[in-house]
Amino acid sequence: MHAIPRRAFAAIPVASAALLGAAGCARSGPDDLSLWMVTQDGAQGTTIQALISDFEKRNPGTSITLEQRSTDDHKNALRQFAGTYLVPDIYWYWEGSGLGGELVDVGMSRDLSDDYTRLGWKDRFTDAALAGITQYGGYQGVPWTFQGQGLYYSKSLFAKAGVDSPPTTYDELIAAADALVAAGITPIEFGGTVNWHVMRLLDCLLETTCGAELNDALTTGDGDWGSEGAVTEAFTELRTWGKKYLNDGFMGINNDDSSQLFFTGKAAMALEGTWFNASVVDNGMDPDDVGIFPFPTGTNRLYGFGEAFYISANTKKSDLAARFLDFMTSKDGQEIAGDAWSAISVNASMPVDEDNPLNPVWAQIFEDVDGGMFANNDQNFSTAQTTEFWRIQNAVLTGDMDPADAGATFQRFREQEG
Amino acid sequence: MTTTDARTGARGRSTRTVPPHRRFRLALPYLAPALVLYAVFLVYPMIDAVRLSFFEWSGFRIEKPEFVGLDNYVRLFTSDPVFWTALRNSVIWVIASLLVPTVIALLLALGLNRRMLGRNLMRAVFYIPAVFASITVAAMWRWIYNPTLGFVNQLLHAVGLGDLAQSWLGDPQFALASIFVANIWQAVGFSMVLFLAGLQSVPLELVEAAKLDGAGAWQRFRNVTVPALRPTTVVVVILTIINALKVFDLVVGLTGGGPAQSTQVLALWSYTQSFTNHEYGMGGAVATVLLLVTLALVIPYMAWSMRGDES
Repeated sequence: MHAIPRRAFAAIPVASAALLGAAGCARSGPDDLSLWMVTQDGAQGTTIQALISDFEKRNPGTSITLEQRSTDDHKNALRQFAGTYLVPDIYWYWEGSGLGGELVDVGMSRDLSDDYTRLGWKDRFTDAALAGITQYGGYQGVPWTFQGQGLYYSKSLFAKAGVDSPPTTYDELIAAADALVAAGITPIEFGGTVNWHVMRLLDCLLETTCGAELNDALTTGDGDWGSEGAVTEAFTELRTWGKKYLNDGFMGINNDDSSQLFFTGKAAMALEGTWFNASVVDNGMDPDDVGIFPFPTGTNRLYGFGEAFYISANTKKSDLAARFLDFMTSKDGQEIAGDAWSAISVNASMPVDEDNPLNPVWAQIFEDVDGGMFANNDQNFSTAQTTEFWRIQNAVLTGDMDPADAGATFQRFREQEG
Repeated sequence: MTTTDARTGARGRSTRTVPPHRRFRLALPYLAPALVLYAVFLVYPMIDAVRLSFFEWSGFRIEKPEFVGLDNYVRLFTSDPVFWTALRNSVIWVIASLLVPTVIALLLALGLNRRMLGRNLMRAVFYIPAVFASITVAAMWRWIYNPTLGFVNQLLHAVGLGDLAQSWLGDPQFALASIFVANIWQAVGFSMVLFLAGLQSVPLELVEAAKLDGAGAWQRFRNVTVPALRPTTVVVVILTIINALKVFDLVVGLTGGGPAQSTQVLALWSYTQSFTNHEYGMGGAVATVLLLVTLALVIPYMAWSMRGDES
């Protein structure tokens, strides 16, 4: 046997370090930008590539490297590399205070106030889109989408049940659901395995029973979940919906499976967002047979959330990053983006794409709402709180928790978490 | 019957002439790559998870983990709303895995060890699910259990037992058992193959001798086959315990731990605490408990079985 020289062993760590160093430096050219997003599938995948290519063509010599990860991996990667030279120049994230807000709090995002003035962005975006950016103070990030959520309904199934017009109050909504049940039609579909789908219903019920001020105090402030009768009322309503109005076995299927019930005319309503316009058409429904109305919470606030691009505080290429985002949200960029991400552009000067007849419906809803917005609670809460919120929500739905205990249980968790 | 000892063979004699410390040095260069990989990807993360369990850390690299002593364990045992459910489910999973798929695997192996038509085809059929990735198995069974279009409920309706149709994955009463059925389907094949291999070592002459002595089928199984299968059984039991304690992807793929965390297990709860809730200290504490439970089950069993071998 030949002895392996000691030098060979000694060379291993040196070579490894050199390789790692080279990998770290590989994307550090002055005209190269790194962009991290969650994985973009289908039309979004091809459109983001088209946007990048167009920017690179307009700016010869520049190069955008897009790294895509699954939702959890994206969140973890940003945490892992926050504060290091490995963070991307630009990252995509949800705007909610518990998500994008958390990264702002740890100093990961750059305040773009100067860019907003220099590039005229303050006038570029719709008020609703800009609200998500200014919520942290200053101008953190550039809005990419603003997603309203409401009740999509089948006009023909409503007519079959004798419901002549979309409900405008919660009582009318319950009456419509009862009429649908009486006609043998499942009023609304949800997929319970993904948690956030049914959460939309609970979020809207909380807004309905608590009102805007209390709901904000509970979800984004220091409100006491354990002492509010309106919270118990919301959970009681949730259980009633689960027992009477949701599709059979909703807890055992996911949102994709449950959406098929709406597309195939087996359920009359779906609580979805602006992205659903394209899904309705893609899944063979006649969009003229579909209507949309906001969940009648009585507060005249729109249920929705935004997504944004943030420029990392650590980047040394903030000008180039701002130029890229300027293009992405310009009219040229938004024309390429079309309705791949949302029915309504964040750019206020973009006309509504009327190819899909549901897009103008959303435009009208956006115009009619004058009370502001309330966001999905998985965007408001910390990730640990969200997990517990979903556990309580599902325990109430399965009958394992009394609705009267739900608020107090969640409050205990929040206090324990500090 | 003659026996041979490998240690007395030609190769054995040559290695015995080399002193042990020199043998180790000679083997080290060959072992080193595997040892380095083992240390970096298994030992270090394991130690680090235990270390992390004494800290509070949100996962942000720029935030320094804060030492909290045993706080995470206190919180885990006294106020974590899911931990005890996860522990209970993991224990149930281990016990059920030792009882149901292992016994089925043994029965299948005994049956398919006989000469019969289509024996190899049936062996393959029972083994194939073991080759599938668990997440694929989960996707298949999610459809089988679909409350409206799934095979199980459709079948129940077709045979007039529609009243028994359930939301198999959506009802906390049935969800864990439903996942376990999918696990049986997947796990039986692997244990069956191990038992089949073990059955090849059962001395035929002993079986024949027992037959001549008038032993019945049950007596031959109990007094000849079972003792001969002992080494195989040890391997099957240990692998079953370890696989049961680390069950993860099947649960993720079928229920994600729901509904209402009713199908949570320790491995998934550790992952959820760390990578979903971003409470890495709590995740480390759950992982440490899982490690201790695994060692507490596997080490005594291994020690007991080794003593049995020596005696």
